[in-house]
Amino acid sequence: MFYVIGLGLSDEKDITVKGLEAIKGCERVYLESYTSILMVSKERLEAFYEKEVIIATREMVELEADEILRDSDKIDVAFLVVGDPLGATTHTDLLLRARSLSIPTSVIHNASILTALGSTGLQMYNFGQTLSLVFYTETWRPDSWFERLEENLRIGVHTLVLLDIKVREQSEENMARGRLIYEPPRYMNPHQAFSQILLTESLRHPKDPSSSSSSSNNGDVDVDVEVKESLLPPASTLAISLSRIGTPTQKLISGTLEELAQLSEEEFGEPLHSVVIVGKKLHPLEFEYAGRFAVGGEAGGWWKVGKEVYGVERETF
Amino acid sequence: MDLNAFWTIWKLTELRSFTVDEIRALMDKPTNIRNMSVIAHVDHGKSTLTDSLVSKAGIIASAKAGEMRFTDTRQDEIDRGITIKSTAISMYFPLPKEDVDDVKQKTDGNEFLVNLIDSPGHVDFSSEVTAALRVTDGALVVVDCVEGVCVQTETVLRQSLGERVKPVLIINKVDRALLELQVSKEDLYQSFCRTVESVNVIISTYTDPVLGDTQVYPEKGTVAFGSGLHGWAFSLRQFAARYSKKFGVDKNKLMPKLWGDNYFNGKTKKWSTSAAGGGERAFNMFVLDPIFRLFDSIMNYKKDEIPTLLEKLELKLIGDEKDLEGKQLLKAVMKKFLPAGDSLLEMIVINLPSPVTAQRYRVETLYEGPQDDESAIAIRDCDPKGPLMVYVSKMVPTSDKGRFYAFGRVFAGTVSSGPKVRIQGPNFVPGKKDDSVIKSIQRTVLMMGRSTEAIEDCPAGNIVGLVGVDQFLLKSGTLTTSETAHNMRVMKFSVSPVVQVAVECKNASDLPKLVEGLKRLSKSDPCVKTWMDENGSIIVAGAGELHLEICLNDLENDHAGVPLRKSDPVVGYRETVTAESSMIALSKSQNKHNRLYVKAEPLDEELTKDIEEGRVAPRDDPKIRARYLADTYGWDVTDARKIWCFGPDTTGPNILLDGSKGVQYMNEIKDSCVAAFQWATKEGGVCEEPMRGIRYNILDCTLHTDAIHRGGGQIIPTARRVCYAAQLLAKPGLQEPMFLVEIAVPESAQGGVYSCLNVRRGHVFSSEQRVGTPMYTMKAYLPVSESFGFNADLRAATGGQAFPQAVFDHYALLNGDPTEVGSKLNTLAVSIRTRKGLKPDVPPYDHYYDKL
Repeated sequence: MFYVIGLGLSDEKDITVKGLEAIKGCERVYLESYTSILMVSKERLEAFYEKEVIIATREMVELEADEILRDSDKIDVAFLVVGDPLGATTHTDLLLRARSLSIPTSVIHNASILTALGSTGLQMYNFGQTLSLVFYTETWRPDSWFERLEENLRIGVHTLVLLDIKVREQSEENMARGRLIYEPPRYMNPHQAFSQILLTESLRHPKDPSSSSSSSNNGDVDVDVEVKESLLPPASTLAISLSRIGTPTQKLISGTLEELAQLSEEEFGEPLHSVVIVGKKLHPLEFEYAGRFAVGGEAGGWWKVGKEVYGVERETF
Repeated sequence: MDLNAFWTIWKLTELRSFTVDEIRALMDKPTNIRNMSVIAHVDHGKSTLTDSLVSKAGIIASAKAGEMRFTDTRQDEIDRGITIKSTAISMYFPLPKEDVDDVKQKTDGNEFLVNLIDSPGHVDFSSEVTAALRVTDGALVVVDCVEGVCVQTETVLRQSLGERVKPVLIINKVDRALLELQVSKEDLYQSFCRTVESVNVIISTYTDPVLGDTQVYPEKGTVAFGSGLHGWAFSLRQFAARYSKKFGVDKNKLMPKLWGDNYFNGKTKKWSTSAAGGGERAFNMFVLDPIFRLFDSIMNYKKDEIPTLLEKLELKLIGDEKDLEGKQLLKAVMKKFLPAGDSLLEMIVINLPSPVTAQRYRVETLYEGPQDDESAIAIRDCDPKGPLMVYVSKMVPTSDKGRFYAFGRVFAGTVSSGPKVRIQGPNFVPGKKDDSVIKSIQRTVLMMGRSTEAIEDCPAGNIVGLVGVDQFLLKSGTLTTSETAHNMRVMKFSVSPVVQVAVECKNASDLPKLVEGLKRLSKSDPCVKTWMDENGSIIVAGAGELHLEICLNDLENDHAGVPLRKSDPVVGYRETVTAESSMIALSKSQNKHNRLYVKAEPLDEELTKDIEEGRVAPRDDPKIRARYLADTYGWDVTDARKIWCFGPDTTGPNILLDGSKGVQYMNEIKDSCVAAFQWATKEGGVCEEPMRGIRYNILDCTLHTDAIHRGGGQIIPTARRVCYAAQLLAKPGLQEPMFLVEIAVPESAQGGVYSCLNVRRGHVFSSEQRVGTPMYTMKAYLPVSESFGFNADLRAATGGQAFPQAVFDHYALLNGDPTEVGSKLNTLAVSIRTRKGLKPDVPPYDHYYDKL
């Protein structure tokens, strides 16, 4: 049997009982280590599961899938994924391969940021498409996510923005030459995320229409910059940052985009982080709950914008 | 000659004729500056001729002119008798007051500053010529009167016109025609005519309409005749001036009469335009006759005739000169009669443009930025008060080992030590910080052949040496004080480093010295290339065997100073394709979410050359470029508008274009594809040689919606693989570099040339007799890979009678298929792969191709 097991969000003990039982019976245990990270070391996992854990890098999962699947029709093999195993689209490939080799598979689910974002107080029903935001470089600023964010905003739903992590990334030169030399790991901080969001917003909706030529499209002739009403005015859009959800040091901060963008990296702390952009259909209960994390407390922009722009009255108890 | 004696003479004469202060004062009058290069085929006598100019300016004793080669400063230049590095020198020249009116551009007084650069004639060093032309506005083209226009004459003329540098011509070594060949006056005239004509044919082929008429005309004074060795030269101006007094005719009216079909009948005193009236050609009669008579009487020791002749010509011999005889006397007399320095400097000052005149039309080709920004305007006006714009064209070693003077031209502003300037390398992009650094210049100096003179500052229009810039620039670059300045255009060299050798030090512990030496070598030579290949060997590449030999000598004895082991020379090949990919190449990204569909096809050879020579370039306006490609090469306009990039090194002769229709997120993977394409084209799929002449069309893509899943990590390796798959599916081929060899040889030795070339896969495609000589000029193509030791073989086969000149000409496709195991080309590919330490077998296409 080939098990794909979710590890949950925080440490070794977040695994489900069913998952733990499955691991105990496995001959080989792989830990996928590039779509997300666990807050604890591999050694603690090994001590708790009483099994040797093999770290599976991106190259291994993508290029040596056969090695991972080897003999799993006869013995049990576990493939551990942080969060929920199928939360990211990446691992379906592994399951498809297993099926083509007639290997029985079993998926053991767990909590993921997609469900844990309930801790913001926002209701999961009210979320639209999830986006991810990649590290911008001098020349590469993919901004197609912005259109999907606007689609969400147009129908008034919330948006979960996942932030890029680069665990074992090669430099462009090493990549092109196929050298396995890696850059140090990087995790995007909400501070950078907000500044990237505001950058793309300002390029898409320049305040001064004459400066629109300085868009990020790298001189691509086909893209026209539409100048119309912004759906994401920084001073009157609400957002929430989520840091280390599911761990003891979990931290949420809510406020207007403008307020959040002014916070320093230290305010958000260690990785991992995500960001939520709040949609216009904000329920008073959501408003009240998330307001607990507002920058500036009762006097924060969260309450003012929520009342004036989102039109939500505060719930009284 | 004894070096100490030389210095004494030099110092003395220098002090007597002019001071640095005088020169510095002239530098403030850009209308009275002439920046010029001396260019020619090898051995046509540039450096010797330069001596006569230098002697005029009082820098070397006039007696030594013609023997000294002042501008050949290196020991190997003196030993070999050829110029290797270009050398600059500034000269002061007062034009006689009555001639100032003949200068048809703005002038200020009659004192002129001539900045002269003597450049090498051997083809292997033509990158030096390119660097010299960039900083000058005019060129003195030297052509040997016996040999005529040669291959390198054409190359340097083409280069100078490409840089918008105006030529004037001197037909040199006339003494050889008179003494060795004993031609008649009319024959000599005809030979002059032919040379002028062939020069003008080249000029009219390559001229830029902006320059106006750049052809040279003896009757307008833009052609001179003379002998550098004997130190005499003349243009028709000197004779017109002489006779205008005698005849009482305006010299400007007389000049045209002295050339072409103008005949004068001495008896009837009538001019006519044909010889029918019994007249003699005016040129023969008035110009050649006195010279012929002098030669005849002196060389044939007709002692009684000499004094009368001298009196007629108003020449007086003084002191020791009276005792001279034969050649020595001839030299002394001719030098008095027609001093080369005067005639040439006069021709230069009157006919070549000043920086003020030249920068007005050169700015378009010199400056990359918009033509209306402050830098462009300052360059156009040659404004010493504008923002600083200096182009550094080469690095000149200083006596301080490892340090260099940055040699260049101030195009705008005034450069001085102290203020901070921005030093921009060739990869600088305005608005970014890459390849630029802000530093102050330590010292500014005047380059004077073998020495330098410190000056406080240097205004626009002058050539200057800068101290303290060398460590921030590789070979060339732009210095500026303007925040918004773009780069001055990078120089295009006419030669490429096609011959390579691997070097290693004999003692492993010397490696750091070697690495440092390589850095210095590549700084000191505009053309040499050094790099480390995949398996760690150090490669040095040069334009030809001689160039490489000189570079390696410098490296071993000077720059690195450690004993070296050198491999046999090897040649850089190019990988190409000969057909369209037989099916669409597909590669999937590692996460299987992205697929790229690409086809490769050959580019036209002509277009490939256009790209290599910069006529089609990445920074062109895409619309204009698309129009050009559509009109010239029949490209589809929509395709042509979608060129993503060129490669390798963003300017190479391969094209990547986006031929996909309606694929979302295409522009978000562009960067990754471009990066992958650069690497793929740099190291091709067959044997990791650079690609050439391949067009890649991206036909379709399947991309993940989320940018995280199609970042560089996924796309770059995929795009590289798909390029290789498409290349290997498109009948890959290899191209080898070919030399154009020009061989001067007497008829009897032609057989030896043929047999020597046949053994080496060369073929002769033209063989013409040089009019009026027994010599033939043969032209042949010879593979560079077969050229090692060719010169020695040729000497042996022809008894030393053949003189070859080889210059890289083009890449030729080798017959066969490198992927077909066992074929000749496959063997070659395997040997290249083995040399590079790769897996010996050429990979099959499915190594890179993913099935659906």
